[in-house]
Amino acid sequence: MYWYQYLSLGCLGICVLACLWHFFRLIRLGKPKDLSRKSGNVTRAEIYSYTLAMMPNNKESAYLHIPAFTSGIFLHIGTFLSIALFVVFFFVDPKIFPEWLTWTCVVILLVSAISGLSLLIKRMVSGKLRDLSNVDDFISNLLTTLFHIVTIFYLIFAYQAAIYYYIEVSLLLLYLPVGKLRHVIYFFAARYHLGFFYGWRNTWPPQKMD
Amino acid sequence: MEKLTKKQIDDAVRLLKMPPDSKLVTHLNACVHCGLCGESCMYYKTMRDNRFIPARKVELVSSLYRRYCTLTGKIAPFLVNAKELDEGTVKEMVDMLFGACTMCGRCVKHCSIGVDISYVVHFGRRMLAAMGLVPDTLQATVNAALDTGNNMGIPVGDFVDTIEWLEEELIDEYGENARIPLNEKEKKVLYTLNPREPKFFPLSISAMATIFYAAKESWTISTNMYDVTNYGIFNGDNAQAGQIAKRLHDEMYNMQSKLLVLGECGHGSRVNRWEGPNYLKHPYDFEVATVVELINSYIRNGKIKLDKNRNQELVTIHDPCNLVRNGGLLSEIRFAVKNSVANFVEMNPCGTDNFCCGGGGGQLAMSEYNERRLKIGEIKAEQIRATGAKIVATPCHNCVDQLSQLNHTYKLGVKIKTIAELTADALVFDEENED
Repeated sequence: MYWYQYLSLGCLGICVLACLWHFFRLIRLGKPKDLSRKSGNVTRAEIYSYTLAMMPNNKESAYLHIPAFTSGIFLHIGTFLSIALFVVFFFVDPKIFPEWLTWTCVVILLVSAISGLSLLIKRMVSGKLRDLSNVDDFISNLLTTLFHIVTIFYLIFAYQAAIYYYIEVSLLLLYLPVGKLRHVIYFFAARYHLGFFYGWRNTWPPQKMD
Repeated sequence: MEKLTKKQIDDAVRLLKMPPDSKLVTHLNACVHCGLCGESCMYYKTMRDNRFIPARKVELVSSLYRRYCTLTGKIAPFLVNAKELDEGTVKEMVDMLFGACTMCGRCVKHCSIGVDISYVVHFGRRMLAAMGLVPDTLQATVNAALDTGNNMGIPVGDFVDTIEWLEEELIDEYGENARIPLNEKEKKVLYTLNPREPKFFPLSISAMATIFYAAKESWTISTNMYDVTNYGIFNGDNAQAGQIAKRLHDEMYNMQSKLLVLGECGHGSRVNRWEGPNYLKHPYDFEVATVVELINSYIRNGKIKLDKNRNQELVTIHDPCNLVRNGGLLSEIRFAVKNSVANFVEMNPCGTDNFCCGGGGGQLAMSEYNERRLKIGEIKAEQIRATGAKIVATPCHNCVDQLSQLNHTYKLGVKIKTIAELTADALVFDEENED
């Protein structure tokens, strides 16, 4: 292993520890205590919250904004694929990947990187989004999109791109727990709380209109 | 605006630093600033002002959280837009959190992440309340409830006169058994009202009294505490909300009733059904039901008979946010209405996707925001117009008030009715009811 691989492993350790701190803080703070009489089924609502409630046909943020929603989905697919590859690269040299697998990953990551870039450009160009954004929003997007791009380069060029790849990943891992990328944890907690709230009151799962 | 004192800042920041559970921390950390919530908010949809995007309202609170409660916000505030709690921030918070949000929760359901935006807005209002910065108009409504026992400050004598007049009318129509019992202990039901009813809409009290008479219910109203509303949920002062909720809670014991029936009021139902036990920090050991649920129990148990053909005009439903999206009564409201009317049409969108009327969140009490309130109501007005309905039914007197103003402003030419009024119009009396 090279020094930059050790560096990325160290950053991964810091990232995991920091994320665990966020996670255990939520656990320590505990679940909401609702003393009113429950009306619905919280478990079913939680399941709904993580599944059907997230479907594009159930959210205006999806069906009224198909391009942004689709870009977001691709960006996340690319991110999860890049994370998976980051782990795999410690055990398998990208040079020995079968060609079809390399190019499949490259195509997916190319799409996700373009999606990330388009969202970044949108954030810069749209007055509405610029108003809402802070420096963190741009850094988070940039680091994530670059993550996809360096993964592509590492898949194709392997050793020549290795140092850039691992340094970028290290920066991303260090930044993740302090910037908005930490929504990787809070997203799941938010869905939990939403499921609890709507489930307790029998709003979710949705009732039939008739 | 006057300069904030250190105590004001400390009181507000203390709330941020002492979350009761993981919910606040979660929602203050979850927003990704995608801005897609804008189209779900009636303020943004009607006025296209970026300040009205729900995520911006969340940002007002979360930027303070980052400044005072996160390492990044303390070390590098510019990076994450961590803001000081100063006069400028507070001024914007008052305008946006009190004056530009009905806390309807429509944006919550449609948020790409699931941030409970109305919960965060309410928390922001709590911070402002802790600093003594609730708009005077809204606070006056809460003070009236605290000082007089009802939010409109109706003197007991006037209330009793109104009820007695209504009872005389009822007896004239249905006979001696058709009563509006006041202060009678050990009745099964303690019935509550929105003070707008005795003040402006007395016929809705008659309607419910007629239904009670038809169902042969054992019921009473307490002159000591009949107000179902609780604007303490809107001004963000949980202690005051708890004080008002406790009065109704205690009146159940005073009247020795078994079932607290919440009059047709969205936020009042929400407070007393869902929030009250949490304000008082103990579960209620009596049953609580909304009027809609009670009427439906009468229909299901055959205690009342309805002839829907008595309501021939086309009816649509306005779903009050606090009863449907935040209260789970979607199908209950439809059950009551569909059993009471011959012709029914849904609004689009409706149910949990329905738009707020614009009167929620205490907006009706804050006259300084009247122009905005009527402007955002344009969405509801166009929804109603598109149905072609002649009657809009809604189980919430604040909604009735706002819809009546929209009816006038946007020349809709519809009648606004409560569920009890529609049901009473469809009642069929059997011989046992006849005196």
